Amino acid sequence: MNFASTAIEILSALTAAANLFIIAAGLSLVFGALRIINLAHGSFYMIGALVMASLLGPGQASHLFWPALILSPLLMAALGAVLERLLFRRIYQAEHLIQLLLSYALSLMLADLALRIWGADSRTVPPPSWLAGALSVGGATFPLYDLFVIALAAGVGLGLWALLRRTRFGWEIRAAVEDPESLALCGRNVPALFTAVFALGAFLAGLGGAAAAPLQAIGPGMDSAILVSAFIVTVIGGLGSIAGAALGAAVIGLFQAVGTLWLPTWAPAFIFLAMIVVLVIRPSGLLGAAAQGWGGEG
Amino acid sequence: MALSRRSTWGGALVLLLIAPFVLPTPWLLVLQNALVLGLFAVATNLLVGWSGLVSFGQAAFYGLGAYTVALAWLHGLAPFWLAFCAAPLIAALVAGLTGAIALRARKLYFALLTLAFSELFYVLAEQLYDITNGANGIFGAMVPDILIVPRNGFYFTLAIVAAALFVLHRIFHSPFGLALRAIRERRVRAEALGLDVARHELAAFALSGAFCGLAGALYVVHDQTAYPELLDWVKSGEPVIVAVIGGISTFAGPLVGALFYQIAHDALVTLTRDWQLVLGALLLLVVLFRPAGLASLLERKER
Repeated sequence: MNFASTAIEILSALTAAANLFIIAAGLSLVFGALRIINLAHGSFYMIGALVMASLLGPGQASHLFWPALILSPLLMAALGAVLERLLFRRIYQAEHLIQLLLSYALSLMLADLALRIWGADSRTVPPPSWLAGALSVGGATFPLYDLFVIALAAGVGLGLWALLRRTRFGWEIRAAVEDPESLALCGRNVPALFTAVFALGAFLAGLGGAAAAPLQAIGPGMDSAILVSAFIVTVIGGLGSIAGAALGAAVIGLFQAVGTLWLPTWAPAFIFLAMIVVLVIRPSGLLGAAAQGWGGEG
Repeated sequence: MALSRRSTWGGALVLLLIAPFVLPTPWLLVLQNALVLGLFAVATNLLVGWSGLVSFGQAAFYGLGAYTVALAWLHGLAPFWLAFCAAPLIAALVAGLTGAIALRARKLYFALLTLAFSELFYVLAEQLYDITNGANGIFGAMVPDILIVPRNGFYFTLAIVAAALFVLHRIFHSPFGLALRAIRERRVRAEALGLDVARHELAAFALSGAFCGLAGALYVVHDQTAYPELLDWVKSGEPVIVAVIGGISTFAGPLVGALFYQIAHDALVTLTRDWQLVLGALLLLVVLFRPAGLASLLERKER
């Protein structure tokens, strides 16, 4: 194995990890603030990618790429807000397994609707023309779009950090995680805040889907495929921690790259081994606190 | 609890005994499938509902049970009956080993650690091509001719499931079962009272694995095949979802949930292209109006 192909493998693993971070950050945010494990998170990701493909149209107009990349996640945020208002809001106090069943039921229905609207055929989306090329370094060619996805993930990470640490909205979210009742007594509209958090989570899933559209074929089954990976990333990092999601994505990217290079057939096993090793050494994830109230007291 | 009343169980058993004479063969097979899922769900609920240990990895042991029977046939290691009896024992052994690791984590992290093991076994089954035929799975005449006859296969499954449920019911009401529920309710207090919590949880994990393995071996009687998807997380989620539908706080809840889910699923698939939409909507109704599970509906009516 020479330098060039090794570097390309590593870049492609990093790209997948960067994309996974965007999605996992949404999952972790929603869990951190609302204590909900949302099995429909993968549906937002899949529909985000499908909407992206539809917005570009059959001609796959390159100049529409940027508006679509923003509009598609916004539509997912709107969908998330509606579902939170109609359904999730009713079960914040319920057993965690009931929440799980609700989001499972929702993921079934969204999968069916997506199949109805977009059909069973898989689609492809080309990257915008000026990102279609590749960067040549020392004999290795790096697709520019891969580099863009990595930059986008870094931007999302910084943006989320700034949002949670530097704005009133972020301050209120952190307060709601600590003590929603006191926050309500201070005159804040906690239910609206929860809707906003859920919508933000759906936005991130949609953004992950829209950004991943040029990287892979888009179609049914994307939803459940991404869900496990997103959970692994979130859990390795520690649930509820955005920095943890970034760390988890990096660990998975690394294991994936190493696995692909040395033992390609066993690459999928490496991810699960990584998760088992991390959780055996640190049972609450790398940066996580102990999970509260999941499956009984104490 | 109304559902555990002897007359209800007896009535259900009589209905199941005459089913082969009433139902057309396709629906008999659906019912047989539902019984296997029912055992799988009750065995999983031994952890989820009884012990408060939410596992998303029970398909590892279910699939192991199925693969024990299929591999014994493929490599000529043992006759069917011996392999069938060995399946729950091997599943229990592997469950004991994985449980010793998975139980180091708690709650959600435990759930996802079990999921990781399930996926790991899935990858093993897919990649060890020389042993398992990989993603193609194992097909063939691995089940004795006598069980191929639908009616015989159904009665065999019914007998095994009924016996297994009887044993599980005895465990549920035994001191061990009560101790598990005490640990679920107040872990710290149970420990303070002198219960060896870790050992109880490990025993529960191995026991659940044994019955999941038995359900997996019964699956082979139904479908005469074993393939990697029997071990993955989607399969692991099934008994949990089914148990929640039926109600995890009762013994019979998961069984009710399994019958409802399997029959609704198989009926909807034949009736409409949008079965996922209808099934999802049905589950939503359960969540919003019967959060304690469908079994609570039956109890209400009987009162």
